[in-house]
Amino acid sequence: MTASPIRSAVGTTIAVAAVAAIALGAFGVQQMLGQLAFVATYAIAGLGVILIVGQSGQISLGQGALLAVGAYVQTYLCLRGWPALLALPLALVLGGAGGWFASLPARRLGGLYFGMSTLAFALIVEEVLVRWESVTRGSAGLAVPAFGAGGWTAGSPERQALVSLVALAAAFWCCRRLLASRIGRAWRAVRDDEVAAAACGIDPAETKTRAFVAGGALSGLAGALYAHWIGFVSPEQFGLQLSFELLILAFVGGVRSLAGALWGAIVIVAIPQLLSPVRDLLPAGLANAAGFDAIALGAVIVAVILFRPQGIAGRGAGPGD
Amino acid sequence: MMAFAQVLVSGIAVGCVYGLVALSFVLIYKATETVSFMQGELLMVGAFTALALDAGAGWPAVWAVPAAIGAMVLVGAVLERGVLRRAIGQPHLTALLLTFGLGMILRGAVTAVPAASQSIHRLSLPFGDQPLVWGSLVIAVEHVIVIVATVLLAGLLTVFFQRSRTGLALRACSENPRAAALMGISVAGMHTVAWALGAGLAACAGLLLAPVTFVHVNMGLIALKAFPAAVLGGMTSLPGALLAGVFLGAAEAVAGLVLPEGVKDVVPYVLLIAVLLLFPNGFGGGLRRRRP
Repeated sequence: MTASPIRSAVGTTIAVAAVAAIALGAFGVQQMLGQLAFVATYAIAGLGVILIVGQSGQISLGQGALLAVGAYVQTYLCLRGWPALLALPLALVLGGAGGWFASLPARRLGGLYFGMSTLAFALIVEEVLVRWESVTRGSAGLAVPAFGAGGWTAGSPERQALVSLVALAAAFWCCRRLLASRIGRAWRAVRDDEVAAAACGIDPAETKTRAFVAGGALSGLAGALYAHWIGFVSPEQFGLQLSFELLILAFVGGVRSLAGALWGAIVIVAIPQLLSPVRDLLPAGLANAAGFDAIALGAVIVAVILFRPQGIAGRGAGPGD
Repeated sequence: MMAFAQVLVSGIAVGCVYGLVALSFVLIYKATETVSFMQGELLMVGAFTALALDAGAGWPAVWAVPAAIGAMVLVGAVLERGVLRRAIGQPHLTALLLTFGLGMILRGAVTAVPAASQSIHRLSLPFGDQPLVWGSLVIAVEHVIVIVATVLLAGLLTVFFQRSRTGLALRACSENPRAAALMGISVAGMHTVAWALGAGLAACAGLLLAPVTFVHVNMGLIALKAFPAAVLGGMTSLPGALLAGVFLGAAEAVAGLVLPEGVKDVVPYVLLIAVLLLFPNGFGGGLRRRRP
């Protein structure tokens, strides 16, 4: 964080612009804008992971459930006639509440045991979504109305991309402010040495809870937007697969810096896109294409951990910040 | 009453599979400090290997099953040598993601084979499919096989850890790697052994599960029930993991009988959270602390 934030921000912007230009040439404007909305939404969720995992050093295996809270709150309210823009803050708040709830075991547990409790939390949430049919319609899922406010609706890809980018910019700015504040310093202190942090008057349990509330709120926001862009929510979208995809996103990008969320989101969204020409080349019936995305994503995370453990955005040899 | 006993037996049988997977997980965790999120995939690949040898290559099941287990032992050893060795000393989450990535590659590779992923398969093992009838109690023969095989495996592992040099060396490494190294034990070699054993055990669990639930790409999801078992057993206790697995299987079966639909599937996780909050060191740890 301290090296040279301005230069790194400029570098990131230039690199992102370069990637965007290449993607624009390859896919055309409409598809590219549609993908941009997803990149920005994934990046918001990735920021949540980075706050919890990279900054406060906790293991969260249930991030998908926090997105589910946001997505379902947003869908439920929109279907009851709330304007999407009014529902969004509530999705954010309830996502934060979900994070608070998931962090309760952190008061007694640490490290891996706490990680296991977040896994259990996520699996319970998924089951509740399947069974609470009066609200969620179970596995059948719910159709989500388009995002909008007043007479304006985000129906086209460029409007969706605009909304996501605005949300991402706001989230990024808030995260920067948080990390530079007393709360952010407490997170890093707890991450680096819990005992030493406690000796300095930082309450580790409270600090972890704050990280989960902030991470949960970001997840809630990302989940709500994701529901709008997909246009449909069902419990299995928010299962363990999503939780791990977000962790992979954060690690590929670089879990210690906020820019890592952007890089990771680009990689995660780009992998299936880059593979689609390869899939088209394969003769039909020779191999099942669904497996290739999993192989590619798995190979990327294995390669990143082995050869660049600090992630794309990380600097230097060690995971420094 | 008979219905209860039958449900309990099938629950214990499924619990044995949970227990075996938890056992493999704890074995690896104790020896290498690596949290393996790929045990489910190893289980699934083990079952598919036996299926490919049996149904695909036409081997008799008596040969296909040991060959599949042997192949998975080899896979475990090769993965440790090639990849997992480099994650030693990394934080838990990094190692966890590494194993998850390897698991994704394995699952993707099986999914990519159309013959494997497009339907569920039955691995025909030579037990006959006549259920055992004992008075008014009817028990599926697969369930009995699972329970008997688990007891046998547990016995074998006990002998291995108590009597054999390798077993003792492996235990020494988990207790204190530095002291073990000073005693002339190759710690790196023991890591390979731990992964080979862990993969082999997962394959055994897969083969035992195959007659009960069929062979399909997502059969590895059962490993998600093995994590609560491992944690309930205290994360570092091999018998604890096995017993907790059996307990969870039985608890799940009973919950399915008396509680509303759907509750059954979350019972292991609710128990996990409850146990973590009440006994932060697992059942085993909680008891050990009380007995000075």
